[in-house]
Amino acid sequence: MVKGNWALFEEDFYAISQILQTLRKSSSARSVMLIDKTGQLINSIGEPPGFDVTSFSSLVAADFGANAEIAKMVGETDFSTLVHQGTHESLFLQHIANRVILVVLFDRKSSLGLVRLKARRAGDDLLNVLQKLFDKLQYRNEEIAPPALGADFAAEAENEIDSLFRD
Amino acid sequence: MSLINYSSREINCKIVYYGPGLCGKTTNLQHIYSRVPQETRGKMISLATEMDRTLFFDFLPLELGQIRGFRTRFHLYTVPGQVYYNASRKLILKGVDGIVFVADSQIDRYEANIESLMNMHDNLAEHGLSIEKIPLIMQYNKRDLPRVVSVVELEKELNPKGHPYFEAVAFRGNGVFDTLKLSCKLVLKQLG
Repeated sequence: MVKGNWALFEEDFYAISQILQTLRKSSSARSVMLIDKTGQLINSIGEPPGFDVTSFSSLVAADFGANAEIAKMVGETDFSTLVHQGTHESLFLQHIANRVILVVLFDRKSSLGLVRLKARRAGDDLLNVLQKLFDKLQYRNEEIAPPALGADFAAEAENEIDSLFRD
Repeated sequence: MSLINYSSREINCKIVYYGPGLCGKTTNLQHIYSRVPQETRGKMISLATEMDRTLFFDFLPLELGQIRGFRTRFHLYTVPGQVYYNASRKLILKGVDGIVFVADSQIDRYEANIESLMNMHDNLAEHGLSIEKIPLIMQYNKRDLPRVVSVVELEKELNPKGHPYFEAVAFRGNGVFDTLKLSCKLVLKQLG
Protein backbone atom coordinates (compact mmCIF):
# COMPACT_ATOMS: atom_id res chain seq x y z
CA MET A 1 0.00 0.00 0.00
CA VAL A 2 1.42 3.34 -0.98
CA LYS A 3 1.63 5.88 1.84
CA GLY A 4 1.77 9.65 1.77
CA ASN A 5 0.97 11.66 -1.35
CA TRP A 6 -0.66 9.83 -4.17
CA ALA A 7 -1.41 10.57 -7.75
CA LEU A 8 -3.94 9.47 -10.33
CA PHE A 9 -2.90 9.08 -13.96
CA GLU A 10 -4.94 9.36 -17.13
CA GLU A 11 -5.46 5.63 -17.65
CA ASP A 12 -6.44 5.00 -14.01
CA PHE A 13 -8.85 7.91 -14.00
CA TYR A 14 -10.44 6.62 -17.21
CA ALA A 15 -10.77 3.09 -15.80
CA ILE A 16 -12.31 4.41 -12.57
CA SER A 17 -14.74 6.61 -14.53
CA GLN A 18 -15.87 3.61 -16.59
CA ILE A 19 -16.59 1.56 -13.48
CA LEU A 20 -18.54 4.42 -11.89
CA GLN A 21 -20.54 4.93 -15.11
CA THR A 22 -21.45 1.26 -15.26
CA LEU A 23 -22.48 1.26 -11.60
CA ARG A 24 -24.65 4.33 -12.01
CA LYS A 25 -26.50 2.86 -14.96
CA SER A 26 -26.93 -0.64 -13.58
CA SER A 27 -28.14 0.58 -10.17
CA SER A 28 -30.34 3.40 -11.54
CA ALA A 29 -28.61 5.73 -9.10
CA ARG A 30 -28.73 9.50 -9.40
CA SER A 31 -25.01 9.89 -9.01
CA VAL A 32 -21.93 7.96 -7.99
CA MET A 33 -18.84 9.48 -6.42
CA LEU A 34 -15.42 8.31 -5.40
CA ILE A 35 -13.89 10.16 -2.46
CA ASP A 36 -10.44 9.87 -0.93
CA LYS A 37 -10.53 8.90 2.76
CA THR A 38 -9.09 12.30 3.64
CA GLY A 39 -12.15 13.99 2.13
CA GLN A 40 -11.03 14.87 -1.38
CA LEU A 41 -13.31 14.17 -4.31
CA ILE A 42 -11.72 11.93 -6.96
CA ASN A 43 -14.59 11.73 -9.44
CA SER A 44 -18.32 12.25 -9.69
CA ILE A 45 -20.57 10.62 -12.29
CA GLY A 46 -24.23 11.22 -13.05
CA GLU A 47 -26.57 14.10 -12.29
CA PRO A 48 -24.63 17.13 -11.09
CA PRO A 49 -25.61 17.21 -7.38
CA GLY A 50 -27.45 20.30 -6.21
CA PHE A 51 -25.07 20.72 -3.27
CA ASP A 52 -21.48 21.71 -2.65
CA VAL A 53 -19.57 18.55 -3.58
CA THR A 54 -16.34 19.66 -1.89
CA SER A 55 -18.06 20.11 1.48
CA PHE A 56 -20.03 16.92 0.91
CA SER A 57 -16.77 14.98 0.37
CA SER A 58 -15.21 16.28 3.59
CA LEU A 59 -18.34 15.36 5.57
CA VAL A 60 -18.52 11.88 4.02
CA ALA A 61 -14.88 11.22 4.96
CA ALA A 62 -15.52 12.48 8.50
CA ASP A 63 -18.66 10.35 8.71
CA PHE A 64 -16.74 7.27 7.62
CA GLY A 65 -13.83 8.05 9.93
CA ALA A 66 -16.12 8.50 12.93
CA ASN A 67 -17.91 5.25 12.16
CA ALA A 68 -14.61 3.39 11.81
CA GLU A 69 -13.73 4.48 15.36
CA ILE A 70 -17.15 3.37 16.59
CA ALA A 71 -16.57 0.01 14.86
CA LYS A 72 -13.30 -0.45 16.75
CA MET A 73 -15.07 0.25 20.04
CA VAL A 74 -17.50 -2.59 19.43
CA GLY A 75 -14.73 -4.95 18.39
CA GLU A 76 -14.92 -4.62 14.59
CA THR A 77 -11.97 -3.46 12.51
CA ASP A 78 -14.21 -1.36 10.29
CA PHE A 79 -17.80 -0.91 9.13
CA SER A 80 -17.13 -1.53 5.45
CA THR A 81 -20.48 -0.13 4.32
CA LEU A 82 -22.75 2.59 5.66
CA VAL A 83 -26.31 3.40 4.62
CA HIS A 84 -28.12 6.67 5.24
CA GLN A 85 -31.78 6.30 4.36
CA GLY A 86 -33.95 9.37 3.85
CA THR A 87 -37.55 9.84 2.77
CA HIS A 88 -36.62 10.79 -0.78
CA GLU A 89 -32.84 10.43 -1.10
CA SER A 90 -30.53 7.78 0.29
CA LEU A 91 -26.80 7.23 0.41
CA PHE A 92 -24.82 4.01 0.21
CA LEU A 93 -21.15 4.26 1.22
CA GLN A 94 -18.55 1.55 0.74
CA HIS A 95 -14.95 1.50 1.88
CA ILE A 96 -12.49 0.27 -0.77
CA ALA A 97 -8.80 -0.64 -0.54
CA ASN A 98 -8.59 1.13 2.82
CA ARG A 99 -8.09 4.33 0.86
CA VAL A 100 -11.24 5.51 -0.91
CA ILE A 101 -15.00 5.64 -0.31
CA LEU A 102 -17.51 4.76 -3.00
CA VAL A 103 -20.67 6.84 -2.63
CA VAL A 104 -23.96 6.04 -4.36
CA LEU A 105 -26.73 8.64 -4.16
CA PHE A 106 -30.08 7.13 -5.09
CA ASP A 107 -33.79 7.88 -4.87
CA ARG A 108 -37.01 5.84 -5.15
CA LYS A 109 -36.19 4.79 -8.72
CA SER A 110 -33.69 2.38 -7.21
CA SER A 111 -33.54 0.25 -4.08
CA LEU A 112 -30.98 -0.46 -1.39
CA GLY A 113 -30.78 -4.13 -2.40
CA LEU A 114 -29.97 -3.31 -6.01
CA VAL A 115 -27.44 -0.64 -5.07
CA ARG A 116 -25.74 -2.95 -2.60
CA LEU A 117 -25.51 -5.75 -5.17
CA LYS A 118 -24.12 -3.58 -7.96
CA ALA A 119 -21.80 -1.65 -5.65
CA ARG A 120 -20.20 -4.89 -4.48
CA ARG A 121 -19.26 -5.77 -8.05
CA ALA A 122 -18.03 -2.24 -8.77
CA GLY A 123 -16.05 -2.36 -5.53
CA ASP A 124 -14.17 -5.45 -6.73
CA ASP A 125 -13.39 -3.77 -10.06
CA LEU A 126 -12.23 -0.59 -8.33
CA LEU A 127 -10.05 -2.61 -6.00
CA ASN A 128 -8.23 -4.10 -9.03
CA VAL A 129 -7.64 -0.70 -10.61
CA LEU A 130 -6.50 0.87 -7.33
CA GLN A 131 -4.21 -2.02 -6.49
CA LYS A 132 -2.44 -1.62 -9.85
CA LEU A 133 -2.23 2.13 -9.27
CA PHE A 134 -0.74 1.68 -5.78
CA ASP A 135 1.79 -0.83 -7.12
CA LYS A 136 2.75 1.68 -9.80
CA LEU A 137 3.09 4.49 -7.25
CA GLN A 138 5.08 2.29 -4.91
CA TYR A 139 7.45 1.56 -7.78
CA ARG A 140 7.67 5.23 -8.67
CA ASN A 141 8.27 6.21 -5.04
CA GLU A 142 11.04 3.69 -4.64
CA GLU A 143 12.71 3.60 -8.03
CA ILE A 144 11.96 6.85 -9.75
CA ALA A 145 11.51 10.41 -8.55
CA PRO A 146 7.94 11.17 -7.47
CA PRO A 147 5.71 12.80 -10.11
CA ALA A 148 7.24 16.20 -10.69
CA LEU A 149 5.09 19.29 -11.09
CA GLY A 150 7.84 21.28 -12.75
CA ALA A 151 10.40 23.65 -11.33
CA ASP A 152 8.27 26.73 -11.92
CA PHE A 153 5.24 25.33 -10.13
CA ALA A 154 6.24 26.44 -6.61
CA ALA A 155 7.25 29.92 -7.82
CA GLU A 156 4.01 30.45 -9.69
CA ALA A 157 2.00 29.10 -6.76
CA GLU A 158 3.73 31.56 -4.42
CA ASN A 159 2.74 34.49 -6.60
CA GLU A 160 -0.84 33.28 -6.73
CA ILE A 161 -0.95 32.81 -2.95
CA ASP A 162 0.42 36.31 -2.38
CA SER A 163 -2.12 37.92 -4.67
CA LEU A 164 -5.14 36.01 -3.39
CA PHE A 165 -4.57 35.87 0.34
CA ARG A 166 -4.23 39.37 1.71
CA ASP A 167 -6.13 41.65 4.04
CA MET B 1 -1.41 13.38 1.91
CA SER B 2 -2.14 15.54 -1.09
CA LEU B 3 -3.89 14.01 -4.06
CA ILE B 4 -2.59 14.90 -7.51
CA ASN B 5 -4.98 13.99 -10.28
CA TYR B 6 -3.04 14.07 -13.54
CA SER B 7 -6.13 13.37 -15.57
CA SER B 8 -8.42 16.13 -14.33
CA ARG B 9 -5.28 18.14 -13.51
CA GLU B 10 -6.19 18.88 -9.91
CA ILE B 11 -4.17 19.12 -6.73
CA ASN B 12 -5.85 19.00 -3.31
CA CYS B 13 -3.98 19.70 -0.09
CA LYS B 14 -5.09 19.62 3.54
CA ILE B 15 -4.03 22.11 6.21
CA VAL B 16 -5.13 21.58 9.82
CA TYR B 17 -5.35 24.30 12.49
CA TYR B 18 -4.50 22.67 15.82
CA GLY B 19 -4.39 24.08 19.35
CA PRO B 20 -6.08 24.16 22.76
CA GLY B 21 -9.73 25.07 23.29
CA LEU B 22 -10.69 28.71 22.64
CA CYS B 23 -7.24 29.59 21.23
CA GLY B 24 -8.72 31.08 18.03
CA LYS B 25 -8.61 28.32 15.40
CA THR B 26 -12.17 28.88 14.22
CA THR B 27 -11.60 32.66 14.35
CA ASN B 28 -8.69 32.20 11.91
CA LEU B 29 -10.96 30.41 9.43
CA GLN B 30 -13.78 32.90 9.90
CA HIS B 31 -11.44 35.77 9.12
CA ILE B 32 -10.10 34.02 6.03
CA TYR B 33 -13.65 33.28 4.89
CA SER B 34 -14.66 36.91 5.33
CA ARG B 35 -11.70 38.32 3.40
CA VAL B 36 -10.96 36.06 0.44
CA PRO B 37 -12.76 36.72 -2.87
CA GLN B 38 -16.03 34.82 -3.17
CA GLU B 39 -14.82 32.87 -6.21
CA THR B 40 -11.81 31.65 -4.20
CA ARG B 41 -13.69 30.17 -1.28
CA GLY B 42 -16.20 27.35 -1.00
CA LYS B 43 -18.85 26.85 1.63
CA MET B 44 -17.59 26.99 5.20
CA ILE B 45 -18.87 24.08 7.28
CA SER B 46 -18.85 24.29 11.08
CA LEU B 47 -19.86 21.29 13.11
CA ALA B 48 -20.30 23.11 16.40
CA THR B 49 -22.30 22.79 19.61
CA GLU B 50 -25.15 25.16 20.43
CA MET B 51 -22.61 27.20 22.36
CA ASP B 52 -20.53 27.63 19.18
CA ARG B 53 -17.74 25.40 20.45
CA THR B 54 -16.29 23.21 17.71
CA LEU B 55 -17.71 19.71 18.08
CA PHE B 56 -16.07 17.86 15.18
CA PHE B 57 -14.38 20.33 12.83
CA ASP B 58 -14.65 23.50 10.77
CA PHE B 59 -13.94 23.14 7.08
CA LEU B 60 -13.14 25.80 4.50
CA PRO B 61 -12.10 24.96 0.93
CA LEU B 62 -10.00 27.54 -0.91
CA GLU B 63 -9.24 27.49 -4.61
CA LEU B 64 -6.02 29.04 -5.89
CA GLY B 65 -7.02 28.69 -9.51
CA GLN B 66 -4.85 27.24 -12.26
CA ILE B 67 -1.18 26.92 -11.52
CA ARG B 68 0.87 25.47 -14.38
CA GLY B 69 -2.33 23.92 -15.66
CA PHE B 70 -3.28 22.35 -12.32
CA ARG B 71 -6.42 23.45 -10.50
CA THR B 72 -5.02 23.82 -6.98
CA ARG B 73 -7.16 23.66 -3.84
CA PHE B 74 -6.48 23.89 -0.14
CA HIS B 75 -8.84 22.35 2.36
CA LEU B 76 -8.55 24.08 5.73
CA TYR B 77 -9.73 22.22 8.82
CA THR B 78 -9.78 23.05 12.52
CA VAL B 79 -9.86 20.43 15.25
CA PRO B 80 -12.02 20.68 18.37
CA GLY B 81 -9.71 21.99 21.08
CA GLN B 82 -11.44 20.62 24.14
CA VAL B 83 -9.51 17.76 25.75
CA TYR B 84 -12.30 15.16 25.59
CA TYR B 85 -12.70 15.38 21.81
CA ASN B 86 -9.42 13.61 21.11
CA ALA B 87 -10.96 10.93 18.87
CA SER B 88 -12.20 13.69 16.56
CA ARG B 89 -8.83 15.45 16.55
CA LYS B 90 -7.09 12.25 15.57
CA LEU B 91 -9.48 11.74 12.65
CA ILE B 92 -9.00 15.24 11.28
CA LEU B 93 -5.22 14.78 11.21
CA LYS B 94 -5.59 11.88 8.78
CA GLY B 95 -3.92 12.83 5.50
CA VAL B 96 -2.67 16.21 6.72
CA ASP B 97 -0.20 18.12 4.49
CA GLY B 98 0.47 21.13 6.72
CA ILE B 99 -0.26 22.16 10.32
CA VAL B 100 -0.82 25.54 11.92
CA PHE B 101 -0.51 25.34 15.69
CA VAL B 102 -2.46 28.19 17.22
CA ALA B 103 -1.19 28.91 20.73
CA ASP B 104 -3.11 31.05 23.21
CA SER B 105 -0.61 33.62 24.52
CA GLN B 106 -2.40 34.18 27.81
CA ILE B 107 -0.48 33.18 30.95
CA ASP B 108 -3.46 31.12 32.16
CA ARG B 109 -3.38 29.02 28.99
CA TYR B 110 0.35 28.27 29.03
CA GLU B 111 -0.08 24.70 30.25
CA ALA B 112 -2.99 24.09 27.87
CA ASN B 113 -0.73 24.96 24.92
CA ILE B 114 1.93 22.51 26.04
CA GLU B 115 -0.65 19.78 26.58
CA SER B 116 -2.22 20.36 23.16
CA LEU B 117 1.15 20.31 21.42
CA MET B 118 2.05 17.01 23.06
CA ASN B 119 -1.35 15.66 22.11
CA MET B 120 -0.70 16.68 18.49
CA HIS B 121 2.58 14.77 18.42
CA ASP B 122 0.90 11.71 19.92
CA ASN B 123 -1.95 11.80 17.41
CA LEU B 124 0.43 12.25 14.47
CA ALA B 125 2.45 9.30 15.69
CA GLU B 126 -0.69 7.16 15.74
CA HIS B 127 -1.10 7.91 12.02
CA GLY B 128 2.56 7.01 11.46
CA LEU B 129 3.35 10.68 10.83
CA SER B 130 6.05 12.90 12.26
CA ILE B 131 6.19 16.69 12.45
CA GLU B 132 9.67 16.48 10.92
CA LYS B 133 8.04 15.72 7.58
CA ILE B 134 5.02 18.03 7.74
CA PRO B 135 5.37 21.82 7.47
CA LEU B 136 4.43 23.33 10.85
CA ILE B 137 3.75 27.01 11.49
CA MET B 138 3.34 28.37 15.02
CA GLN B 139 0.88 31.19 15.58
CA TYR B 140 0.99 33.02 18.92
CA ASN B 141 -2.51 34.42 19.14
CA LYS B 142 -4.20 36.97 21.42
CA ARG B 143 -1.11 39.19 21.58
CA ASP B 144 -3.35 42.18 22.33
CA LEU B 145 -4.42 40.86 25.74
CA PRO B 146 -2.80 42.22 28.93
CA ARG B 147 -1.53 39.09 30.72
CA VAL B 148 0.41 37.26 28.02
CA VAL B 149 3.55 35.13 28.00
CA SER B 150 6.46 36.72 26.11
CA VAL B 151 7.15 35.43 22.60
CA VAL B 152 10.68 34.50 23.71
CA GLU B 153 9.23 32.27 26.43
CA LEU B 154 6.64 30.73 24.07
CA GLU B 155 9.31 30.04 21.49
CA LYS B 156 11.53 28.38 24.08
CA GLU B 157 8.78 26.12 25.42
CA LEU B 158 6.64 25.39 22.35
CA ASN B 159 9.01 25.75 19.43
CA PRO B 160 12.49 24.52 20.31
CA LYS B 161 13.05 23.30 16.75
CA GLY B 162 12.52 26.81 15.36
CA HIS B 163 9.55 26.32 13.04
CA PRO B 164 8.38 29.60 11.51
CA TYR B 165 6.10 31.62 13.79
CA PHE B 166 3.78 34.62 13.63
CA GLU B 167 2.25 36.79 16.30
CA ALA B 168 -1.48 37.25 15.83
CA VAL B 169 -4.69 38.87 16.97
CA ALA B 170 -6.96 36.61 14.97
CA PHE B 171 -10.27 38.34 15.68
CA ARG B 172 -8.83 41.51 14.12
CA GLY B 173 -7.14 39.53 11.38
CA ASN B 174 -3.59 40.40 12.43
CA GLY B 175 -1.23 37.62 11.42
CA VAL B 176 -3.97 35.40 9.98
CA PHE B 177 -3.02 35.71 6.31
CA ASP B 178 0.73 35.71 7.02
CA THR B 179 0.24 32.35 8.70
CA LEU B 180 -1.96 30.94 5.95
CA LYS B 181 0.28 32.14 3.13
CA LEU B 182 3.42 30.60 4.56
CA SER B 183 1.66 27.34 5.34
CA CYS B 184 0.30 27.07 1.77
CA LYS B 185 3.69 27.88 0.28
CA LEU B 186 5.52 25.30 2.37
CA VAL B 187 2.95 22.63 1.52
CA LEU B 188 3.23 23.29 -2.22
CA LYS B 189 7.01 23.41 -2.01
CA GLN B 190 6.95 19.85 -0.72
CA LEU B 191 5.04 18.77 -3.82
CA GLY B 192 7.32 20.49 -6.32
